[in-house]
Amino acid sequence: MANVVPLNNHAHRALCVQAGAAARYGDNQRFVPVIVGEFPHLAVHYPILLTKDRDTGAFFIGAMLGFDEGENLFLDARGMESYRPLNLQRGPFFTAGNEIAVDLDSPRIDESGKPLFTETGEPTQYLQSIMALFRDLKPGLEVTRTFVQTLIGLKLIEPIDIDLAFDDGSRRNLTGLYTVNQGALRALPDASVLDLFRRDYLQAIYLMIASLKQVPVLARRKNNALLKASAALAGA
Amino acid sequence: MSKPIKNIVIVGGGTAGWLTAGVIAARHQGRIQQGTFSVTLIESPNVPIIGVGEGTWPTLRTTLEKMGVSETDLFRHCDAAFKQGARFARWTTGAEDDGYYHPLMLPQGFTQVNLVPHWLEDERGKSFCDAVTPQGALCDEGLAPKMITTPEYQAVANYAYHLDAGKFAPFIQKHCTMKLGVRHVLADVQSVNMAENGDIKSLATEQAGEIAGDLFVDCSGFRSLLLGKALGVGFKQCNDILFCDTAMAMQVPYETPESPMASHTISTAQSAGWTWDIGLPTRRGVGYVYSSHHISDEDAEAELRRYIGPQATGLTPRKIPIRAGHRETFWKNNCVAVGLASGFLEPLESSAIVLVELAAKLISEQMPANREVMDIVAARFNDVNHYRWGRIIDFLKLHYVLTKRPEKFWQDNTDPASVPDRLKNLLHLWKYQPPWFFDEFDRIEEVFPAASYQYVLYGMGFKTEVMAGDNSGTRSSAASYMNENIAMTRKLRTQLPKNRDLVKKIHEYGLQPI
Repeated sequence: MANVVPLNNHAHRALCVQAGAAARYGDNQRFVPVIVGEFPHLAVHYPILLTKDRDTGAFFIGAMLGFDEGENLFLDARGMESYRPLNLQRGPFFTAGNEIAVDLDSPRIDESGKPLFTETGEPTQYLQSIMALFRDLKPGLEVTRTFVQTLIGLKLIEPIDIDLAFDDGSRRNLTGLYTVNQGALRALPDASVLDLFRRDYLQAIYLMIASLKQVPVLARRKNNALLKASAALAGA
Repeated sequence: MSKPIKNIVIVGGGTAGWLTAGVIAARHQGRIQQGTFSVTLIESPNVPIIGVGEGTWPTLRTTLEKMGVSETDLFRHCDAAFKQGARFARWTTGAEDDGYYHPLMLPQGFTQVNLVPHWLEDERGKSFCDAVTPQGALCDEGLAPKMITTPEYQAVANYAYHLDAGKFAPFIQKHCTMKLGVRHVLADVQSVNMAENGDIKSLATEQAGEIAGDLFVDCSGFRSLLLGKALGVGFKQCNDILFCDTAMAMQVPYETPESPMASHTISTAQSAGWTWDIGLPTRRGVGYVYSSHHISDEDAEAELRRYIGPQATGLTPRKIPIRAGHRETFWKNNCVAVGLASGFLEPLESSAIVLVELAAKLISEQMPANREVMDIVAARFNDVNHYRWGRIIDFLKLHYVLTKRPEKFWQDNTDPASVPDRLKNLLHLWKYQPPWFFDEFDRIEEVFPAASYQYVLYGMGFKTEVMAGDNSGTRSSAASYMNENIAMTRKLRTQLPKNRDLVKKIHEYGLQPI
């Protein structure tokens, strides 16, 4: 259960937070919501795809980190080796209005973690970096929502079926994922293209398209993990 | 050179008029935008809309999608809910537990193998419906036919809508006038000006002067102002086959706003007819369709109130006459009738709106290029529509002929003199072979496919002899389809939300277009 309260330097003066990436802290996610501003960092590592919120049906964009529930193929004992999406970086923090809030029940709340405040109650460098993160993330969510609405409005979204056979004989058939419809993109009238360009959406669209090339790379990573697991099983 | 058909004039602003306008205008949008084609709808500011039919067919999804209507808007503006078919309660024996479904999904593997003889050979303790499709079970549990993540108009289980007909016409009107370029004229038609060849030349209206056109669509309701009155086309009654001639309707509030909402129409046999029970998000539409020769209005009202229970207290029923039958011809000269102007049958299988859709589609797809070829299209249209009305009458009658109920209304219905010859022959044939593909229901847009006949026949306990050894060639494939059905039923029951919950979510979040 989450217990989210606004952060303040009296009640939470001594609070420490584990900032690193680990499965036990919740970094074991196969699909993490992202914002448009992150696309250049993401596209060189992960497929950037759309999916629908199970509860509302609304589209959102995320980075695909794995194939199975709770699988982040970029996570190891040392943490996350490549760019860590803001939604993972933010750890146990949220925004409530202009305030920063913290989930006191998060497993990241841990005495051996990083302090949030100095002894005099000033935010530490770590907390400052979280505050900076939200300065990107908060408006970024709005920008990203508008971007998604624009894609829907221009009928630029199409479903993508990812059906893979791995060397250990298992298969993964992922449904409910969507990407940019390149045929529809090419067929857009000039005025729409110019509008997309002026709003910096065209670059985001092309980054999403380019990131599709990360699907086979991710599959290779998964394949290696599966082979390692079955080799370990055979060895035992 | 023959006169080109460029200006379509529709008379009547009910569901039939606006749907027809929308279908034609969407199909010919290119020419409308060029200014070389027009659709005008004339609606009397003084005539109330009858608003028949709150039940629809899955075809409406395609019809609305092609018109460019958003399904989310339909739910939000027309008090719409999902409909996955109908349950016919007490039609066979009248017992408390007597009932069967006519679902909207085809039996599993319908195009590959006929499951009927296999089910007849071994029912495995299941009704025919439950043996061949998950939909009956979904209805039993009040589940929706899709999820919030399923795109607009797409289905997990095939579905149609229950909707508020009084809200539907204005909703389509708005779409037609704002998005599709349909001209809306509020005026009363005073007289019809005829040409020498018997065509309609123009309409004289009280408020908008003379309105000329090349093709006139009569959607004026029971009055049939153009085809019936002006062109003198007669009406062919079929009350010798279908006896119900009156409907009494009530709008029943739910006990609480959260009361479960059925995702199918509940049609319950009564002493001299049957009641419909349709769940909309805000209320139930309930009505009694009966034969006034078999029951008085007072007794019918009492029976309707008994069916509804305490919720009927304080409600006043609305009485609607049913004149079962259709025009002798549907398209004559340059005038074609759609909707009530073309005919009406009791709403036992919600055929009213689907007939409008099919007629409008045929008119729009076959829109004659000029007056010279119009008669060819008209002859075709008449042939198809005679076939359709005939098959619907047969199919409605099928629900009555297999009854074992003792009341006079029901016994009169089984009188062979009241059964059309074609249906009689089929019932004879089906004693020895179950209906399937090669059973004459082979038109491109067949209103009721052979599957519908299967659901009704075997839902009502009809027996078809299965010849020993006849099933052996298809037994393994039939078994695998029936097993598939069990697996699919299990999966959908865990996956699908409650009907009311999904409708609420659609109001709140909307469905995605893809």
